[in-house]
Amino acid sequence: MRSLREALLGFGRAKTMSFFAIVSTGFSLLALGMFALALLNLNTLIRYFESKVEIVVYIRDNADTGRVGMAVEDLGRVEGVDRVNFVSKEEALEHFRRDLGADSDLLQDLESNPVPASLNITMKPGYRDTLHVQAVAARAAELSFVEEVDYGREWLRRMDIFKHVVSVVGVISGALLSLVALVLISSAIKIAVFSRSREIFIMKIVGATNGYIRRAFLIEGVLKGTLGGALAAGGIFAITELFNRKLIPITGFTDRYYLYTVAAGALLGLLGSWISLGRYLRRI
Amino acid sequence: MIEFSNVSAGYAKGARVLDGINFHIDKGEFVFLTGPSGSGKSTLLKLIYHDLRPLLGEIRVAEYSSRRISRRKIPYLRRKLGIVFQDFGLLESRTVGENVAFALEVTGAPRSFIRRRVSEALEQMGLGGKECCYPLELSGGEQQRVAIARALVGEPYALIADEPTGNLDPGISREILMRLEDINAMGMAVLLATHDYSLLKDRDHVRRLYVSGGRLIYDGPTGSFAPEAPPASGGNLPPVG
Ligand SMILES: Nc1ncnc2c1ncn2[C@@H]1O[C@H](COP(=O)(O)OP(=O)(O)OP(=O)(O)O)[C@@H](O)[C@H]1O
Ligand SMILES: [Mg+2]
Repeated sequence: MRSLREALLGFGRAKTMSFFAIVSTGFSLLALGMFALALLNLNTLIRYFESKVEIVVYIRDNADTGRVGMAVEDLGRVEGVDRVNFVSKEEALEHFRRDLGADSDLLQDLESNPVPASLNITMKPGYRDTLHVQAVAARAAELSFVEEVDYGREWLRRMDIFKHVVSVVGVISGALLSLVALVLISSAIKIAVFSRSREIFIMKIVGATNGYIRRAFLIEGVLKGTLGGALAAGGIFAITELFNRKLIPITGFTDRYYLYTVAAGALLGLLGSWISLGRYLRRI
Repeated sequence: MIEFSNVSAGYAKGARVLDGINFHIDKGEFVFLTGPSGSGKSTLLKLIYHDLRPLLGEIRVAEYSSRRISRRKIPYLRRKLGIVFQDFGLLESRTVGENVAFALEVTGAPRSFIRRRVSEALEQMGLGGKECCYPLELSGGEQQRVAIARALVGEPYALIADEPTGNLDPGISREILMRLEDINAMGMAVLLATHDYSLLKDRDHVRRLYVSGGRLIYDGPTGSFAPEAPPASGGNLPPVG
């Protein structure tokens, strides 16, 4: 309890240094948070596009319905396949009409239905990439009653590349950003500890144990880090609100991620003061 | 209770600062530590409070020995000592009372005990009523008295003062000396390092140590001070290690 009081007092005393440490933690975490927000929204976008991935297996007009039924069951059991939907010629024509809209008159006086029946296959999330889609398409193409398989090969390939680029760029810039944040925060803490080296010396002279000194500084570090984290969480919330109200709706952090941001601040404060103090205390 | 046996000391890089030092100070003694600037007075005091460890020999303080003490025990050794510096060493952002209480808080003493001891120590130093002032609101002499109050609040065996009057006017220095003598009269040993020889005037019976060239050259009453000439090689002691 005394350490806590000591920390609170120290906090109020070294105002400039505390401010510097809190603000640098806050801004570093805010930058990281905004970066996470950007990734989160790219991911939402990717998932939206992926949800459009569909394999369309066109069926010859003379196909045996029994065998088609068996194929539906078969394909439904392939790894990654979510649903296999049979679309009859009539339904397909109906869809076609609806798609054409005003021009649907063109289809008014057809003697026979030119639109083929199909199996529309959707994939489970996590399987909506070239590798898995291609495997299912190849399997479908082997069936004797199949006319053609269409799955937007080129589009899917571009999606793959895009996802790859996003993850590589994300990891690299995330690592760089974390490094910069760590350097910034640890130097802020180092300066704060150094600015109080006199206080540490006096603590030692009057017989304070290293444990006592450490506790006081660690509690202070955690308090500052938590405040910095809260600052960052507030900033992220404000930015999300700004986008949602004035610009475009975006995916925001869930409560849990706000909590993580504050916790990351506390952890950084703890580690930062532990490391910079450790060096200091080791000298007798 | 403070005992040096064949102590040699120096800093990580550079020549030995002290060599073959032997003396001991008993409970209740008053001792001046003198010597030219750079002769190693502060170094000798650092050895006592274990801010510096000896290269050779043994230093004993109360029940602790420099040979056997672990790093973890050093804070407990320091609680047996009250330490006073030339620059007062007060925390400017804390009140006088808080500065003095600080020395007991780190030991985990109960709050009521701390409150009582702090006002006793301030009273003893003639600082009753200054408890809530900040150090910078006090004169230099008063600040040094706060530092002395902090040194004696834990009722240590000995008070170690390094040039405590170095920043003070002669009249104030005299007053500080008398305060230290009062403390000594109550049974606490005092070791006072100084190169202000005017303080030694009229103190013929008081014990004086004189270090020069890294050696203890005189140990006896101030009145019969007659240092042997420092050895010719005084400034060139063997290097460390
Ligand atoms: N931290 C240090 N690192 C290296 N050398 C040091 C250190 N402190 C002191 N010295 C050297 O040790 C020698 C003795 O210094 P010390 O401070 O003990 O002298 P002193 O007798 O207290 O002098 P003064 O009367 O000026 O205070 C000096 O030569 C000094 O340069
Ligand atoms: Mg000195």
